[in-house]
Amino acid sequence: MDSSASTLEPLLAFFAYSMSKLESTFYKVPGSAVLARYVRSSHQNDPGRTLLELILIVFAIRTLLQSRTRTDRSGKNFIKFNEKEIDELVDEWTPEPLAQPLSEWEQKDLASVPVISGANGPKAKILSTGKTVTNLASFNFTGLAGNEQIKQHAIDTLRKYGLGSCGPPGFYGTLDVHLDLERDIAEFLGTEASILCSQGFSTISSVIPAFCKREDFIVADRAVNFSIQKGIQISRSTVRWYDHNDLKSLEDALQSVEKERKKRKMPLTRRFIITEGIFERDGEMVDLPKIIELKLKYKYRLILDESISFGTVGRTGRGLTELYNVPASQIDMLIGSVANGLCSGGGFCAGSMNVVDHQRINAPSFVYSASMPALLATTASAAITHLRNTPSVLTMLQENIRTLRSVLDKANGITVLGHPASPIVHFQLRSSQGGSYEGESRVLQEIVEDALAQGVLLTRAKHLKGQELIEMPPTIRIAVTSAMTKKEVEKAAGVVKTSIARVLGKRR
Amino acid sequence: MPSPMALNPPSPSPSIFKKKSLSSLPSMATAASYLSAVSEADARARHHEVSPTSTPALSMSSSVTSSSEDTVLHENDLDDSGLAYPLTPPTSEQVFTTVHTEFGHCANESFRYASQHTPESTLETHYEDPPYYIFITTYMSYLMLLCLGHIRDFFGKRFQPRYFKHLMPYDGYAPLNSDFDSFYTRRLKRRMDECFFQPVTGVAGRTIAILDRYSLDFNESYLYSGSKTRALNISSYNYLGFAQARGGCADAVEESLRRYGVSTCGTRLESGTSELHVIGEALVARFIGMEDSLISSMGFATNSTFIPALVGKGCLVISDELNHASIRVGVRLSGAQVRMFKHNDMEALESLLREVISQGQPKTHRPWKKILLIVEGLYSMEGTLVNLPAIIELKKKYKFYLFVDEAHSIGALGPHGRGITDYFNINPRSVDILMGTFTKSFGAAGGYIAGPKVLIDALRVRGHSGAYAEAMTPSVLTQVIASMASIMGVAPPPPSTKSALTLSPSSSTATLRASDSEEHPGLAPASALPSWLSLPLALRDGSEGHSRLRRLAFNSRYLHCGLKKLGFITYGHPNSPIVPLLVFNPGKMPVFARLMRTRQTPIVVVVVAYPATPLVTSRVRFCVSASHTKEDIDVILRACDEFGDLLDLKHASGERWPLEEIMKRSVELVNMP
Repeated sequence: MDSSASTLEPLLAFFAYSMSKLESTFYKVPGSAVLARYVRSSHQNDPGRTLLELILIVFAIRTLLQSRTRTDRSGKNFIKFNEKEIDELVDEWTPEPLAQPLSEWEQKDLASVPVISGANGPKAKILSTGKTVTNLASFNFTGLAGNEQIKQHAIDTLRKYGLGSCGPPGFYGTLDVHLDLERDIAEFLGTEASILCSQGFSTISSVIPAFCKREDFIVADRAVNFSIQKGIQISRSTVRWYDHNDLKSLEDALQSVEKERKKRKMPLTRRFIITEGIFERDGEMVDLPKIIELKLKYKYRLILDESISFGTVGRTGRGLTELYNVPASQIDMLIGSVANGLCSGGGFCAGSMNVVDHQRINAPSFVYSASMPALLATTASAAITHLRNTPSVLTMLQENIRTLRSVLDKANGITVLGHPASPIVHFQLRSSQGGSYEGESRVLQEIVEDALAQGVLLTRAKHLKGQELIEMPPTIRIAVTSAMTKKEVEKAAGVVKTSIARVLGKRR
Repeated sequence: MPSPMALNPPSPSPSIFKKKSLSSLPSMATAASYLSAVSEADARARHHEVSPTSTPALSMSSSVTSSSEDTVLHENDLDDSGLAYPLTPPTSEQVFTTVHTEFGHCANESFRYASQHTPESTLETHYEDPPYYIFITTYMSYLMLLCLGHIRDFFGKRFQPRYFKHLMPYDGYAPLNSDFDSFYTRRLKRRMDECFFQPVTGVAGRTIAILDRYSLDFNESYLYSGSKTRALNISSYNYLGFAQARGGCADAVEESLRRYGVSTCGTRLESGTSELHVIGEALVARFIGMEDSLISSMGFATNSTFIPALVGKGCLVISDELNHASIRVGVRLSGAQVRMFKHNDMEALESLLREVISQGQPKTHRPWKKILLIVEGLYSMEGTLVNLPAIIELKKKYKFYLFVDEAHSIGALGPHGRGITDYFNINPRSVDILMGTFTKSFGAAGGYIAGPKVLIDALRVRGHSGAYAEAMTPSVLTQVIASMASIMGVAPPPPSTKSALTLSPSSSTATLRASDSEEHPGLAPASALPSWLSLPLALRDGSEGHSRLRRLAFNSRYLHCGLKKLGFITYGHPNSPIVPLLVFNPGKMPVFARLMRTRQTPIVVVVVAYPATPLVTSRVRFCVSASHTKEDIDVILRACDEFGDLLDLKHASGERWPLEEIMKRSVELVNMP
């Protein structure tokens, strides 16, 4: 006993010495006294607390040291294999091919897509036949495509800015012409501000997730375009769909959300109504004043996609707000397409200063994408000036729509869809002539090809089958333009009508 | 007040922290003097913005870009900075066709390098750590910013509620953005907002004109003084210098605008397809070395709209943790499962592969339908290259599909500019899908996706872009075609066939595909270009493209190695045109950017911080271009050297050279293995 104590003694002495040394060093560190006092007093008050704090510290260190990439190894479902078994499983595994080859119909469909040689416009030269045909397929609503003045404007911009902007807006990709266009759009519509996106299609699918988060509510039209569907999908918000363009159904949906919220005593979250001005898929138009009334009543925000209606309806092409004489500031987020409406490229979201500024750092396709080429921005600005100065193109467009519809309304075997003022006119087969979706598409494609042979370019409205929320009946979509005279429209519509009659007649 | 956070302890007493470059700050003996020097310099720099005429730096440049002839050389300012005119005037033999402000004149053939993988160079990324006090002060800074922010919020909400109105529930509406969600933006980013969204004008070439602005309300809003400053541009993605308003490509674009107009007025599948799309896609396929390709009008959308057509439910996507947001969006839309692996860590990847293949799908344990590995060729924030050879080896064993996003590497890497496969001399067809953008190297916009024809045709029909998104505009297509052809070089047309440009009448898809016997990387046949396109000789024979590639490689390597030798911590591969310089402390970022912008020769730089990078590793990101001359890189090195001392940024280990020596021995430095 004694001897063991004596051998331990120097060790203990050293231990005591090093402890005192450590303590004195500890107290030399500035601020350490505070820590010591804190630990001491808290320990005296409640030793359990010291234990708890220790556990917390250990937990924090563990969390910090854990791998950043999640693994499921600890999960209940994890099965342990040895290396040899894994090797066998790896050898056994055969993946599916990366892409399923196209079906025969898909191939035919792809091959039938027309390639246009030279400039697109009211007359287009088809590359395969070399024939120049009347174009009822392309989006050239106000005839901006062939505008020489705008073209010259683009060339001038090219000579000053080059083509690409070479950077995202945050990092020296914001050009003065972008700011000019944003201001032009905001002034044109009468909103506080607007923000550009370099592709029309990606605009709204980036705007929605910028505002709608997981806990938020979205009430949306069932037949909204694909981009909106994707935006809603990525936002992960709770969605209620209401029947296509049915405001009664919308009100029911709003009420049920409100009821549910009250019942479950949910906290106040953001709520949005999302719909299109003129629906891309059938040309229906939304009753804007009524929607605004509902949105104000139920305290929702309105995200309105005017990709088709901006630049095409209203006295000077400001879209639905001008048509219904509603101030654009009533719409919280107004999305439009610079590519469709102004014959350039890209899209925009107009709204209040807060709405726009929020997107500058939160809208993914604005933040992570290069800004649009300068010449597209200046042509869009020039297009707005053109629309302001020559509202006659809009009158002409409406007149042509009326002319076209009046001819097509008389055609047998088809139903013309959409609002009378919509610049896109869809028509579908009246009775299901082809049977299935694909069968109907085939009949419509025959009509397209027959019309093309007679010198009129048409297109079926293309959809991603199986990926859309609801399957719309196949249609042919005509895009009316103001760049044709009434006579030309009459003639082209006549050709379409004959083609319909010929193709449907053959099938009987 | 003795504090361990003292930045620069009095020199005689040895610090507990290793401090390497004490000698570089001889005049600043104490932390206080160091801080005051920084704040003085910063104040000087701030002062510049408010009164543009008060200093020589700005009066020099305020008159630069007043005319619409932005890039033409009649800038009558006293330019001794080398921005508008080369410092050494050209000799009589040297003929430069480019405008010096857009694309610098450099005739010295020794300032060239070939971007190519060499067996001895390592792909392991070595992340060098600074001394601990840098980490501690960085965390302290964020802590302080957080505390200050919360204090300001606390009092602000009580005393000045109008500033918080949009963050609070109002009239039954939940706020669009809660004060919590926007805290980082309002309280941390706002302080250095002047580094972001700087509006510019003119060509984003070698130099760029920034619109001078200043803020009177702490970056809430900006006022423009109306003047412009021409600055050296080391920030734009302009790797090959094709951002030009003059020259062969711009001429081609002008011609195309006259012939094709501005827009093709529709989606690809609904009569928006122009012959230029067909030509462009065939040329891209040939450039990449793939069977077929598909062009999309926006780079971000190329990923976000085509990945969902590749994978879906029951599939697994393995993604590098640093992949771009567009890939994440695309994967999220696809509905596939995602697993991430540590950036560029091949061991982590392999162990993950073994795990996921053996475990199968979660819960059901069914085998995965397919596994798609998505990596980037060159990572935009790190400058690291993907370890492609190792991945190809893994691919053979584990049978996953490989998707390489070449947004930054296409054009910028490889002796022929064909991207990461060219760099490693790997057959591009051993990769399943190569995706890339035209924004960075080609001075255009949009993106492409290239692969086997079956796959690309499926994407044409089933990808979101074909049916719904507007087609790429003719002007952008022309820029792509012209710049790409000039990188490839155009083969003279064979004498016998008059025109081989036959676009298949029956199909809209690319029919000008390279015949499979064609060697890659080869020239572009004249028949693959639009018949009206006439490029100047230097572009047509590929000599200028070749020289651009070699200039870019030299500049990248020179800046990277130069910064290293000066003692800065940089990330990434020396051959990468992206050179991140680590700053760490958040407070140093705006000061660095401001100092650079207000130098005698102004330089614009990109600073990146959390959340784009991890919290501590804030950085300055240089994007080198072929349009820079060796002198431009010297200017940048000199500036970094000065401010590196001032801001205490030089913490790298390894041999250091003085600036003069780096500049003198640049060629030797670049050619060091």
